[in-house]
Amino acid sequence: MSAENTADVRAGGAPLIEFRNVTRTFTTGKSSSVTAVDDVSFSVAPGEVYGVIGFSGAGKSTLIRLINGLERPTSGTITVLGREISRLSESKLRHVRSRIGMVFQQFNLFQSRNVAGNVAYPLKVAGWSKAERELRVQELLEFVGLADKAKAYPEQLSGGQKQRVGIARALAAKPDILLADESTSALDPSTTGEVLRLLRRANEELGITIVAITHEMEVIRSIADRVAVMDKGKIVEEGHVYDIFSNPRDHGEITFVGSALKDRPTAEDLSRIRQHTSGRLVTVSLKDSATVGAVLGSAAEHGVTFEIVHGGMNTTKNASFGLLTLALEGESQAVQQFVDSLKAAGPVQEVREGQEAQK
Amino acid sequence: MIDTYRNLDWDYYGPELIDALWETIHMVMVAFAISAWIGLTLGLLLYTTRAGGLLANAAVFWTVNFLVNTIRPIPFIILIAALQPVTIQLLGTGIGNTAVIHAMVWASSFGIARIVEQNLVTIDPGVVEAARAMGASRLRIIFTVILPEAFGPLILGFTFVIIAMIDMSALAGIVGGGGLGNFAIVEGYQRFRPEVTWLAVAAVIVMVHLLQILGNLGARKVLRR
Ligand SMILES: Nc1ncnc2c1ncn2[C@@H]1O[C@H](COP(=O)(O)OP(=O)(O)OP(=O)(O)O)[C@@H](O)[C@H]1O
Ligand SMILES: [Mg+2]
Repeated sequence: MSAENTADVRAGGAPLIEFRNVTRTFTTGKSSSVTAVDDVSFSVAPGEVYGVIGFSGAGKSTLIRLINGLERPTSGTITVLGREISRLSESKLRHVRSRIGMVFQQFNLFQSRNVAGNVAYPLKVAGWSKAERELRVQELLEFVGLADKAKAYPEQLSGGQKQRVGIARALAAKPDILLADESTSALDPSTTGEVLRLLRRANEELGITIVAITHEMEVIRSIADRVAVMDKGKIVEEGHVYDIFSNPRDHGEITFVGSALKDRPTAEDLSRIRQHTSGRLVTVSLKDSATVGAVLGSAAEHGVTFEIVHGGMNTTKNASFGLLTLALEGESQAVQQFVDSLKAAGPVQEVREGQEAQK
Repeated sequence: MIDTYRNLDWDYYGPELIDALWETIHMVMVAFAISAWIGLTLGLLLYTTRAGGLLANAAVFWTVNFLVNTIRPIPFIILIAALQPVTIQLLGTGIGNTAVIHAMVWASSFGIARIVEQNLVTIDPGVVEAARAMGASRLRIIFTVILPEAFGPLILGFTFVIIAMIDMSALAGIVGGGGLGNFAIVEGYQRFRPEVTWLAVAAVIVMVHLLQILGNLGARKVLRR
């Protein structure tokens, strides 16, 4: 029955996961409570990689655990694979869970089972026969590049290898959704890349929808299509990774994205910059870097000189983005004209010193 | 000293000692075969019904916890005496090895319950969560995740309990039972023959060492360290 629902959802292109006004409050004492997830609504389409990023304690883990019913909402509705899981009993929930794989920060491998045994466990739960299980385990270990480690036990593996086993185990029962809670936070940068590539392949080759939770911008940048920024239980920004990272927003808040990317000058940066220039400071988005480059090349024609005082480029799953802060000197009229032509090439934000400076 | 033992009446003490040894082994094995299951069940109940557990249930947890805390601290010699009416009701006799086995089952079941609970709480909750996330049922998680993950420490815990049970069985003489304890008191102590008492001591020491070696080997094999 859950299989039929899954098929319907996919055919209709309806969201695979949908949160409507979901709140989760924990009682922490007689009269105290923590609202870990606060009136959150979002949806994830089939085949999408949805990233959730935020500071520690923002409620990310609680959010992801609500998706497979490890945590129940205090209010609101959660629909996953066409079923309203917030109303399902624990035993009905098991059917939905078997369609959702989960990868953990601390890997959570069974110490009492070897690699093959770990990967085979969800298959046993799903009732696969021994012969089917053996074939599938072999296939998965090849997918994650650990075919030679089938007989090894978790303590004999490196962190990256453990997480690859974790991913193989999560993918074993051919789930529709993969949940990754800080799947790379316990790994070093090179191993992180290895695990992220694997997640990306799972999405691209197997068509699995992924929800990835992280506090590392790197993870969002390299695998996510869309991203939600969480802060104190709420989703404060949401959109395509490319847009969120490349638009200088004007509301002047210290956003997670801004502070993580260090893409705009801080107050200290500004005072240092001001020591050697008095020009007009603007931040330009490199959404279309070729056009911006062309405009910069024409600076002399405008009678304007510019200096790059801050910024850089970053690469997402399928595009590059970045912000450049420029100090422009020349006739104020000429500078204004130059800024107008920059605006034609991409969003431009005035750097307002003192109040606007980012932490 | 060697002469003392060379001149001992082995034709008499030899068979007596072996009989006593077998009686001890018999008492411990029968009692353990029963209490291991009761203790394991109670320990699993304590672990799973605690707040935040798989089968969280305050009433069950409180009841089992209370029972364990009530029965476990009773000194074994008092327990034998106190249980005698129950023993008679249940087994038709209040004396002999059977009566001792009965008391040993009570004492060790509740001891095992605590040891099982203590070993289970050290399991990483993450693996239980992983199994839940895969859609495993609670019973399946108990039998295919929780118990296997704790198997190594459980072997050591059970070894500890068996050794404690050898200790308990030594009091069998009080209610007309046999075994090494009775042998040491009746043949040695009461007849002022310390060298005979020491035969029982030696037998117990050898038994305990062998058990501990076996337990350690088993745990090492399971834990792979
Ligand atoms: N079971 C619980 N009982 C009480 N409070 C909880 C519980 N789980 C989470 N919280 C609280 O909810 C808030 C959000 O926690 P959560 O683990 O979801 O954050 P997070 O964004 O995943 O943080 P991190 O990046 O550190 O993992 C925190 O204040 C936390 O203390
Ligand atoms: Mg977390």
